[in-house]
Amino acid sequence: MRKYTPKDNVQGKSYYTDRFWVAPRVPRHEVEEGSHFADVVKALGRKAKESYVEIGQLVVHIKASENFNVLKTLKESCGYTQCSEQSAVDYLAKDGEFELFYQLLNISEAKRVRVVCRIKKGEAIESVVPLFKSANFAEREIFDMFGIKVNNHPFLKRILMPDDWEGHPLLKTYPMIGDEFASWYEVDKIFGKEYRDVIGPENRDPARIDRYDTKRFSRVGYEVPFGADISEGEKENPIEYSETVLVDYTKSSKQLDERR
Amino acid sequence: MQQVNKLTPFFENLNFERDDNTMVINFGPQHPSAHGQLRLVLELDGEQVVKAYPDIGYLHRGIEKMAENMTYNEFLPTTDRLDYIASTSNNYAYALAVEKLLGIEAPRRAQVIRTMLLELNRIISHLFFIATHALDVGAMSVFLYAFREREFAMDLMEDYCGARLTHSSVRIGGVPLDLPAGWVEKLASFCAKVNHEVEHTYEALLTENRIWKMRLENVGVISAEDALSWGCTGPMLRGSGVKYDIRKEEPYELYSELDFDIPVSDRCDSYGRYRLYMEEMRQSVRILEQLIPMYAKTEPQLMAHAPQYISAPKEEIMTQNYALMQHFVLVTQGMRPPKGEVYVPTESPKGELGFYIKSEGEPYAYRLKCRAPSFFHTGLLQEILVGTYIADVVTIIGTTNIVFGEVDR
Amino acid sequence: MAQHQVNYASSAGLPIALTSVDKLVNWGRSNSLWPLTYGLACCAIEMMASGASRYDFDRMGTIFRASPRQADVMILAGTLSKKHSEFARRLYDQMTEPKWVISMGSCANTGGMFNTYATVQGVDRIIPVDIYLPGCAPRPETLQYALMMLQKKIRRESANMNNNTKQNLRLV
Repeated sequence: MRKYTPKDNVQGKSYYTDRFWVAPRVPRHEVEEGSHFADVVKALGRKAKESYVEIGQLVVHIKASENFNVLKTLKESCGYTQCSEQSAVDYLAKDGEFELFYQLLNISEAKRVRVVCRIKKGEAIESVVPLFKSANFAEREIFDMFGIKVNNHPFLKRILMPDDWEGHPLLKTYPMIGDEFASWYEVDKIFGKEYRDVIGPENRDPARIDRYDTKRFSRVGYEVPFGADISEGEKENPIEYSETVLVDYTKSSKQLDERR
Repeated sequence: MQQVNKLTPFFENLNFERDDNTMVINFGPQHPSAHGQLRLVLELDGEQVVKAYPDIGYLHRGIEKMAENMTYNEFLPTTDRLDYIASTSNNYAYALAVEKLLGIEAPRRAQVIRTMLLELNRIISHLFFIATHALDVGAMSVFLYAFREREFAMDLMEDYCGARLTHSSVRIGGVPLDLPAGWVEKLASFCAKVNHEVEHTYEALLTENRIWKMRLENVGVISAEDALSWGCTGPMLRGSGVKYDIRKEEPYELYSELDFDIPVSDRCDSYGRYRLYMEEMRQSVRILEQLIPMYAKTEPQLMAHAPQYISAPKEEIMTQNYALMQHFVLVTQGMRPPKGEVYVPTESPKGELGFYIKSEGEPYAYRLKCRAPSFFHTGLLQEILVGTYIADVVTIIGTTNIVFGEVDR
Repeated sequence: MAQHQVNYASSAGLPIALTSVDKLVNWGRSNSLWPLTYGLACCAIEMMASGASRYDFDRMGTIFRASPRQADVMILAGTLSKKHSEFARRLYDQMTEPKWVISMGSCANTGGMFNTYATVQGVDRIIPVDIYLPGCAPRPETLQYALMMLQKKIRRESANMNNNTKQNLRLV
């Protein structure tokens, strides 16, 4: 029987986990009364479903449909004028959802807020490009890497992968070494599909050594000309080592004198 | 489509037949002044750029995907290849993010060494900036002079970690090695050299240079509002008059104890940013000079003591059974940080370099997002290139100081 | 190596050097190798460093050219991504014969540490490579050594390129 491997998450997994292992959690703190973050949560009002402080930054969970309004409030009334990062996390295998986060920065207070929302597979998110121009590239990257559509984006196109690429690489279902399409991409594009046989499949095994390959591997003691056919076996070619005179410096310098 | 024959060859770069009298040219991805693999599609009206479309992804290597398939320690050398001009700043940003997640702190000596390496890398990166920027604008000799000093800095890095470019000189929880004998003295003499060269070579050659000023002044103007909106950080933001440096505002490592200034320029143009880079090198030297006496006062411990996450020192592994077992588990299975998410910003030479790590309590990160400053600076190009002349395009690309390893990741 | 200094005393004072055409042509070819600046990633920085002050590539007759039409050697320095691969092949095709390729760094040789969906697993899948240069990133000295090895290789070749066996991809 072949070993069962789950298809919905093909990323790296620990080969052994203790039966009684329970992962601890990074402490989440309540938002302190009177702090800057408390004002932010107050300004958001009922839009903030859940809010806590994790490792010095405020995390606010919101509804995905309200993302534009929330970011607008944060920008205009709380001073979060820079969106330093936004991206997504794939939870399709577990919850059938994507988690999106916006990382915002308040320059004058030197505070950071992370706005988190979740969308179902196939749902689209509203673009925040009118608020933060940096979202232009970031949202294109989300679309490219996860296939999440962004409504009202000025130019939603693949950004990192080629336009004719198939699949969205950062999904958990996408293997790290790529699928069939990815492995033949450059050959198909440059030479055409008919050259697949000529060029051959990719070597994804970094430790692979071809016993009969005389073009890329030298064989110490069995040297043959470049590209020679050795499927019939090769002749031994004894190695000539240069002679080393061992000198015992502790005893006498006689040997040294002889060499001089 | 053109009719291609021997008399009218096919120019793949130029599409002459357009109705509106504009010309579309393709710039890159292999262009010596594109700083890597930037491809720009420019629509020109005469010599003026009407529309610019930066096309990136020619160096996309799937580093974020690799992070999901590697244990935390395994991934560290990969971060070298993000911003390969200042590798240690990437190693450090990643290590700091994981440390924040684990809730550990590096010992004092490791902190001193890390801060030294970070500032040394800042000097390396800024020297590289001035070299390539001047080369693009046309000052070849500055390139040769700046690379001369850069080699001395690389020698120092090589003495410390053995590598010139891809250092991996920071570990999660500390640094792997102590400074070699005589390194601090070499660093001190290097600091003096940099200070001297900045003033007497680069600034003497460029600051009042007529051609340099004509090429840089009022080129690539970014208003403070635009800079914030486009996600500009580092010298790009400070060049627009916003005084924000993560080392000062959200201090990490030893920066809260060190005395240094944050240079700001209100000029908003390439020349102001050039002055800023020069000043930042002086400040880095100032930081390094303060760190040298701090080093001597520290205890020799180099790695944090956290047996659950970090291997014990070699002597303990070789002598104590439990340390050996821990080490075996950490190497074969990898450390398991607690569940949670963290975003840690650091000030890399290019700007805000942050790592977002989502951990599910597994030895493999569930999601790692690298917030690269150059990515957002490249996005900015589509706005600031519009209206400029084609000769200034190269200057503006040079002044953004983008590195494609971290743009495409 | 051709004798390129005429010994006036030995050949009856005549400025004549006798050599084979192969040697003469290869002497010219091998001593003015102009590489294409094809910096892709980290190795490009080391390639720049080898062209800069300390390592000084110019003394080997090596002057970086920005145009493939003027270049003899393509130094593929860095990771070749799948998106970029068609451009690499196009630039190679644009170079005039005779042309050689140095694959610099592990990424260009085999894909290196980037065993991912986006990386070409060795540039020899799309263009024929003459010298593989290991290291991540190789030091400038390594690049200079590779160039000297390439010079050696050129001197061994026949001046008529049709006589040389190249890898099968050349005719594709």
